[in-house]
Amino acid sequence: MSKGWQLTLILCLLGLFALFYQGLWGDPRHIPTVLIETDAPNFEGPDVETGQTISLEQFKGKVVLLNFWASWCYECKVEHESILQLHQLFKDNPEFVMLGVNYQDELPDAQKYLKEYGSTFSHVRDLKGQLAIDYGVYGVPETFVIDQQGKIRHKWVGPITGEVYTNITQKVIAPLLKAQPTTTTTS
Amino acid sequence: MPIRLTWCLVALLTIPLPLFAAVQDETDVDIQVREIAKTLRCTVCQTENIWESGAPLAQQMRGVIRDRIALGHSTEEIRAYFLSRYGDYILMEPPKHGVNWLIWVAPFLLLLVGGFFLYKEVTHWVRDTPTPPSQPEPPLDDQARKRIERELES
Repeated sequence: MSKGWQLTLILCLLGLFALFYQGLWGDPRHIPTVLIETDAPNFEGPDVETGQTISLEQFKGKVVLLNFWASWCYECKVEHESILQLHQLFKDNPEFVMLGVNYQDELPDAQKYLKEYGSTFSHVRDLKGQLAIDYGVYGVPETFVIDQQGKIRHKWVGPITGEVYTNITQKVIAPLLKAQPTTTTTS
Repeated sequence: MPIRLTWCLVALLTIPLPLFAAVQDETDVDIQVREIAKTLRCTVCQTENIWESGAPLAQQMRGVIRDRIALGHSTEEIRAYFLSRYGDYILMEPPKHGVNWLIWVAPFLLLLVGGFFLYKEVTHWVRDTPTPPSQPEPPLDDQARKRIERELES
């Protein structure tokens, strides 16, 4: 085989390797979302603690942070402290609402979890998994930020800690609350 | 006759009746749920479709398919709904558009390129391999001739 052909073959193989690298060795948890800049699906469900009906519709015109969690999820426990801290940071802003979505869980377990780890905002139960599927959720924790126009502006798969916390508070939520256009980002 | 009757009864009793029941109980909705679920990937297990997956999310997705069929949605509408939530990733079979074509074409392309290189290499070997010069057969010595004759006689 001539050197020219050998070089072509090596280049072809390298090209294919580069092409499939992401698929083979990329993090399978990070499935690209198609929901950014689309209308946030409306939902309705009972509050984990009070049983009262909560719907997204009632928070129309506000910036909503939606955090999917479950009592059996280890990473949810990891991020819980940061989640409470995030709520503490923005809770006095009337334009901001934070909602937890309890995903694939038993009610007593969810209530026990909130009692044990603390809760300062409302949590809606996803009874049949419809809410999670509407939001393209495939694991917990997953967090969405919805803007005042009801569009999904940000999605993060995994715990909101460290740099992720800084990014979501300073680069996503704060600019939205100031009604400044922000760049849409996704995990 | 009584023996034949006994055998028939034994055969009937040993047939797994629940299997029959399962087949008979499968409604058109069940069939449609199965057909749609088989085309959608379980986002938790990733290598299984949501019909075969035992993950709770897959189970809930099957429930959503059933609910939507009950509401009168068509197969395409239901698939489009999942596609709008999870993107192309949810489909077991990558849709044939854009860069996805590469997934469909690449194996055949590789086969073609590989075959071409193999052909080139083999012809190269054949051309360059020196053929040994033809030599006259060595004459048979007396000892060998006698041995052959002895063996033919025996």
